[in-house]
Amino acid sequence: MTEKWNITLRVSRQKDTENQHFDDFKMEVNPDEYVLDAVERVWAFMDRTLCYRHACHHSTCGACGMRVNGVEKLTCITPIRAVTSNGATLKVEPLRNFPVVSDLAVDMGAFYRKMEVVSARAVLPITEAEIENPATNWPQNDAQFLRLSDCLECGLCISACPVAATSPEYLGPAPLAAAQDVGIHRNPELLGIVDCEDGVWRCHSAFECTAVCPSFVDPARRIMALRTQVIGAKLGKLFGKA
Amino acid sequence: MNNQPSANKFWAWFNPMGRQVGGWAFILNRITALGLTFYLFLHLIVLNQLAQGPAAYGGFIALTENPIVKLGELLVVAAAIMHGLNGIRIIFTSFGIGVTRQKELFYGFMVVALVAILFFAARMYMG
Amino acid sequence: MTTPTTFKPVSAPRPGENSTLWLIKIATGPVLVLVLILHFTVNHYLGSMSSGLMTYDDVIQYFQNPIIPAIEILFLITVVSHCLIGLRGIILDLNPSRSVLNITTWALVILGVSSVVYGIWLALTIASKSV
Ligand code: HEM
Ligand code: HEM
Ligand code: SF4
Ligand code: FES
Repeated sequence: MTEKWNITLRVSRQKDTENQHFDDFKMEVNPDEYVLDAVERVWAFMDRTLCYRHACHHSTCGACGMRVNGVEKLTCITPIRAVTSNGATLKVEPLRNFPVVSDLAVDMGAFYRKMEVVSARAVLPITEAEIENPATNWPQNDAQFLRLSDCLECGLCISACPVAATSPEYLGPAPLAAAQDVGIHRNPELLGIVDCEDGVWRCHSAFECTAVCPSFVDPARRIMALRTQVIGAKLGKLFGKA
Repeated sequence: MNNQPSANKFWAWFNPMGRQVGGWAFILNRITALGLTFYLFLHLIVLNQLAQGPAAYGGFIALTENPIVKLGELLVVAAAIMHGLNGIRIIFTSFGIGVTRQKELFYGFMVVALVAILFFAARMYMG
Repeated sequence: MTTPTTFKPVSAPRPGENSTLWLIKIATGPVLVLVLILHFTVNHYLGSMSSGLMTYDDVIQYFQNPIIPAIEILFLITVVSHCLIGLRGIILDLNPSRSVLNITTWALVILGVSSVVYGIWLALTIASKSV
């Protein structure tokens, strides 16, 4: 028999020019379901006007990011058991630092633009990928094999970043991590894009991006590695061909 | 729509809710930095007493016997120790040293900071 | 990939908080650690009552060694640069307009230079007194 929990889902609501408020929905859930399943249940059975984003349900599209009890989560892979208890209230809110379009759905346009500005790679040769558990018997001559980039473009890192809270122009964790992944040696134009006021030096090392990233990006580490790349490239210019 | 980044959300820098260890370190770093900066300029002004001779400086030193001033002095020492040690952590991680261990680095440095602060407190109040 | 022209550029190289200022902020850090350790030790341990430089005479005495005013001046310059660059970084996070940022930068430069000039005068004045 599956376990049943009774929870109250407290959902942030905001339409048009309304101020943010919360609606409570009581429901029975299986604690091994995911937070997104509970949100969908509201839409399916209780309130058809609820707006939220999702597509794949398996941590690939990056659309379902929300704040769950205040912390950024990819809701399609966050088990209800991990974030609340039987009889308790579970609060879901839209991501921070993005304009709310409606309820839980935010406008990520500016963020996607920044990913384009740094020419983020959607796929990359497997030889260039940093793989968590690399297969030991991977073919040696494998430049032809491509791999999806780790970043889902979910925006959780932008939502969690304190600097992004006040600076709309700041490139932010995922774009800076993407720039590091491309590398200044592969795309020298990136130097000008990240070595500026809204670039890699704006990070104040809060490490919130890495704390919330649901994938294997570790944006904070990549931002630091990007700093090394920038300093290296500038020293190279200074002492190299000039 | 009122969820976008904006300068008047600066209070969000200091809000510890929904943040984790690295975020708390950032808050601590920024608050102590602002406090120390304020103190530095106050300090430079007050030190002018030294140029004015023994009487003026003596009067200022007498003030430091006031328990509230003394507590303030301890706070300054504490802020400098915490900001300084956390600053070392930021410098290390900025060059890739210990980035994946930043939480442990923070806890470690703050234990050192606590010991150092207690040491100074003992010195100030019992020495 | 083409970019819709209705968006304004997100980020373009602009002078300002680039690697130079950041490197100064980072490089002054370790210097400050050393001088602050010295500063706190001296001000809380040395002196006639061995509880810090608590009297005027103690401070004057301490400054008799010429290395001391030199260290104090090094301390002064590094701490003022570090904290004003840091302060500018915080103001930058408030996303100021270009003109506000320029005014801020100049105000901080003036504040910094005058504090350093004043501080050097102070250190030399103290050093020139005798017990
Ligand atoms: C004890 C040695 C010190 C070290 C190792 C140190 C290190 C650092 C580092 C690495 C940063 C960069 C943080 C970031 O970009 O997020 C920083 C920021 C800052 N520091 Fe220090 N610091 C020290 C002492 C001081 C002192 C004595 C003051 C003030 C008088 C000061 C004022 C500031 C300010 C205003 C910032 C900007 C803070 C921010 O961006 O949130 N620091 N410090
Ligand atoms: C709370 C503990 C502190 C005490 C008791 C103290 C005391 C003093 C005294 C007595 C002097 C005169 C010269 C000397 O004895 O070295 C001095 C100078 C100085 N202090 Fe402090 N200080 C403290 C903390 C700080 C902090 C946290 C900073 C940095 C933010 C600082 C920055 C300076 C500077 C730059 C000078 C040199 C000024 C000059 O020569 O023009 N002090 N301090
Ligand atoms: S870096 Fe991580 S948190 Fe940020 S958008 Fe990519 S997958 Fe999401
Ligand atoms: S629904 Fe696609 S990542 Fe969650």
